[in-house]
Amino acid sequence: MRDTKLDFLKELANIGTGHATTALSQMLSGRLFQLVVPDAQMLPFDKAADYVGGSEQVIVGIFVVVSGDVRGHMAFLLPLDSALVLVRLLTGDDSGEVHELARSALQELGNIMITSYLNALAKMTDLLMAPSVPGVAVDMAGAVWQSVLAGAEVANEVTVIRTEFFADGESIEGHILFLPDDDDFGKIAHSLGLEEM
Amino acid sequence: MAKTVLITDDTAFMRMTLRNVIEKNGYSVVGEAGDGEEAIALYKELTPDMVTMDITMPKMDGISAIKEIMKVDPQAKIIVCSAMGQKPMVIEALSAGAKDFLVKPFDAERVVESLRKIGS
Repeated sequence: MRDTKLDFLKELANIGTGHATTALSQMLSGRLFQLVVPDAQMLPFDKAADYVGGSEQVIVGIFVVVSGDVRGHMAFLLPLDSALVLVRLLTGDDSGEVHELARSALQELGNIMITSYLNALAKMTDLLMAPSVPGVAVDMAGAVWQSVLAGAEVANEVTVIRTEFFADGESIEGHILFLPDDDDFGKIAHSLGLEEM
Repeated sequence: MAKTVLITDDTAFMRMTLRNVIEKNGYSVVGEAGDGEEAIALYKELTPDMVTMDITMPKMDGISAIKEIMKVDPQAKIIVCSAMGQKPMVIEALSAGAKDFLVKPFDAERVVESLRKIGS
């Protein structure tokens, strides 16, 4: 059961992340490439923060609440270093700090990635998945997790998708988190003709 | 005289990106709105020839803003620029009165093409 669910999530992750990466690459005028096939992991809540960089490491999180036929939470998390590379490519700002315009660029980038991912799943399942206005947090991973998951139905485990990109000679690491509410996870599986999971 | 455009998007980065594209192509950006409410107020004040409209925004979303602007001016020319390209949303925006729907990320040519088509 758990393996089937994980396989299914990996497949969704492949498709969603593929679309999200294409979108991100377009934003960066084709200067970005996906390096590795996305890897999905189901982790206990307390281990998940470590997996994205250790709860003490500073990360950037862009997060939304999903509503519509499928409800849940979604986020794009990346280490500060990676976020700063993207900011430089998008705005030309290489101050190494997250100023107001950098924050706004990261918000838009996260929004486009998350929404492209959801658009791909929505097309496959014919279910509406509408993201909220994204929140942005720049903080230690532990604190960002709290913001991302505020109000989420997290029972025991969360699914984290790790991706690695390559842009302008630098490697960029990112994590995509998609947390459909339990009832609605079944809806996605069902609409794709899979038995209840 | 250059056609005038009002930009609506909740992120300053996207407003800046759109402004660059629009101004480089001979249009005049007369205002920038950060949410639907601001878009309606600025539309009344500036009466622009065209409006770019994001969908997911705080305070008032783009769909509600399109409906309100169309009430004020049934001839309004509104182009949606949103990442949210799912079918029900596109249909809702177009039936509310939007003339075109661009899914982010878009390339500059697509924006210009839409401005030319809608503005003529």
